[in-house]
Amino acid sequence: MFNIRTRRTALAAAALTASAALVLTGCSGGGAETAATYDPDEKVTLDLAFWGNDVRAELYDAAIASFNEEYPNITVNTSFLGFPEYWEKRQTEAAGGGLPDVMQFDYSYLRQYSENGLLLDLEPYLGNVIDTEPLAQNILDIGVVGDETTGIPTSTNAWGMYTNPKLLEQVGVEEFAGGDWEDYDAWMKEVTDAATAAGVELWGGTDWTGRIQNFEVQQRAKGEDLFTEDGEPNFTEEDLAAFWEQGDAVRTDGSVIGQQRLEEIYPLSGFDSALTASELTWDNFGAGYLGNLGTDFTELGLFEPPVTEEGAKDLYLKPSMLHSISAKTEHPEAAATLVNFLVNSPESGAAFGTNRGLPASTTALEGADLDPLSQQIADYEASIADRLGDAPPVPIVGYGTLEEKFRLIGQELGYGTLTVDDAVSQFFSEMDVVLNQ
Amino acid sequence: MSTIEVPRAEFLEISTDQPAQPRRRRIKRKTVNTVIWMVALLALTAIVLYPLVWMLFATFKPSSEFGQNPGLMPENPTVDNYVKVVEGIAGTPLWRFFANSLFIAVMAVIGTLFSSALAAYAFARIKFRGVGLLFAAMIGTLLLPFHVIIIPQYIMFNKLELVDTYWPLILPKFLATEAFFVFLIVQFIRNIPRDMDEAARIDGAGHLRIFFSIILPLIKPALITSAIFTFIWTWNDFLGPLLYINTPEEYPLPIALKLYNDQTSTSDYGATMAVSFLALLPILIFFIVFQRFLVDGVATQGLKG
Repeated sequence: MFNIRTRRTALAAAALTASAALVLTGCSGGGAETAATYDPDEKVTLDLAFWGNDVRAELYDAAIASFNEEYPNITVNTSFLGFPEYWEKRQTEAAGGGLPDVMQFDYSYLRQYSENGLLLDLEPYLGNVIDTEPLAQNILDIGVVGDETTGIPTSTNAWGMYTNPKLLEQVGVEEFAGGDWEDYDAWMKEVTDAATAAGVELWGGTDWTGRIQNFEVQQRAKGEDLFTEDGEPNFTEEDLAAFWEQGDAVRTDGSVIGQQRLEEIYPLSGFDSALTASELTWDNFGAGYLGNLGTDFTELGLFEPPVTEEGAKDLYLKPSMLHSISAKTEHPEAAATLVNFLVNSPESGAAFGTNRGLPASTTALEGADLDPLSQQIADYEASIADRLGDAPPVPIVGYGTLEEKFRLIGQELGYGTLTVDDAVSQFFSEMDVVLNQ
Repeated sequence: MSTIEVPRAEFLEISTDQPAQPRRRRIKRKTVNTVIWMVALLALTAIVLYPLVWMLFATFKPSSEFGQNPGLMPENPTVDNYVKVVEGIAGTPLWRFFANSLFIAVMAVIGTLFSSALAAYAFARIKFRGVGLLFAAMIGTLLLPFHVIIIPQYIMFNKLELVDTYWPLILPKFLATEAFFVFLIVQFIRNIPRDMDEAARIDGAGHLRIFFSIILPLIKPALITSAIFTFIWTWNDFLGPLLYINTPEEYPLPIALKLYNDQTSTSDYGATMAVSFLALLPILIFFIVFQRFLVDGVATQGLKG
């Protein structure tokens, strides 16, 4: 016992010295020196963790194989899980001090991990180890928390509206021609009515007031993000009540799919199940929709969300995921090299395509071989350039909880078991708990 | 003992009464009763089993059918799900996950039986200082929610550099940390007459000899119960392997079958169903084979307590 304990103390001391040395080199002179003290041929092993399914795991294997052609000295051990399990495991590791060297990171957790000092500040590596040329400044800014860059976005999404052209043709309704939210409601009603007349089980869409993103889009049209830079809420109870009241009409006249029908098909959405003709969502959901719709459906429409105010910059590019490095990594340079490869290299672009979203880096995008749907997404993100504003501040700690609460309240509104006023007070008390925890 | 004799006497009385009643009516009423019972039980069984049957049929649905056909029968039956699942995930074949799960479960069973029986013997038969306190502490750990110890335990194994090995999952089982089973076996041993130990002691047997030759054969029902529960719990355990295993090739089944399902991109529901069904089979077979012992173990336990 005594022996083990002394050894452990010795190890801890060694680790402390090493990290102190790291901090010192980090402080002493920016990138050039860090790169100079780093032996690029040293044999190192890195742990890389990501969330995703078997398909994405194979893509990562391919990307790492080409990484090893260039850097045979860096061995990468990958580990992957589904999204909720991935974060359950990271939370435990964060508390226990065992985070993997390189992680695929989600925007909603970035602030929490950064503020707790769990992520490495990448500033010293930007411009040397990590090539910043192919990344636009507004994309790099997404990964900045406080004054540290703790994440590099791999790819971007934008809020959009998917439609199902085949179903629309079936009921003889034109695609949504654009317009404001009331126009969209009217269009959904037209689709639902046409479907009822034709005897098809189909609705125009889903109640869009159930998604916090639509609220965000409307608030941004007024020039306000949901939360301020300091993480304070930036909307009033009246704003929220007004937003939810907009859904009253479609919920009562049945032009959107009912909540009970949605429960029956959960975890699939109405759009996945060919029960709705449109859905407002992130534009990277297309591949999933096509997969779930099956071989009967080969194409989707992708359009701008309804306009709240003409000329407003209400949309923004969100990182669909970022790469971050653990603050405790023993090989920060090697880890940064891997991050650079996964974000910027054409090989990585070729391996992933749009599996992780539309590549944020121009060099990776050039390497990517885009299938028709990916091309459609790329074109879409280019087409909404006029409506793209600056990304909102990094989400507050607990944003995920609030997003889920918003969705649950949306369900209750759908059932009619909650009035808008009660819904607003429920949401604000939940927000109070989240912000003050 | 007396509690058992009373019903026996009643039973005798009833059976002497019975020939007095008209036999045919009795048989008829008995048949009607049986039929009603059978129908009711079958209906209940059907309700309970329906989700399982639905799952079995769903394994033959192509993934895209899940949103559009919630019914029992697949519209376009296919075995593609099984073909895909057997091939495995990201280069790791399915049998590897089965083997991992089996290895962990078998080691857990061996560890739990060995350590719990030894610990239980000590608590039940040896008088040592602080036995009462230690026993209370052991029972106390039953009240400790698992979530309280997740992080301290993780830190410990992380410092010992045992993360990403099976040790964190197996080692505790060899250290009698499953208080429930220790308690179960302690109660069992306490009901075995001490006379046998004393007879063995007079013949010159030490504690080890008494444990292996006298106690161990007598506590077999308790051991079997513990083995079955340990196997099922370990086989289904999700959180433990999730926290401690990093390498995908080393994942046990519960983790592996979640990998077909990714809410953030595409989910293969057909494959999820197929692999879930396959993962269920060993438990089902294990249960069918051992259910007699399981009931025995629990029933004996109840009588003696």
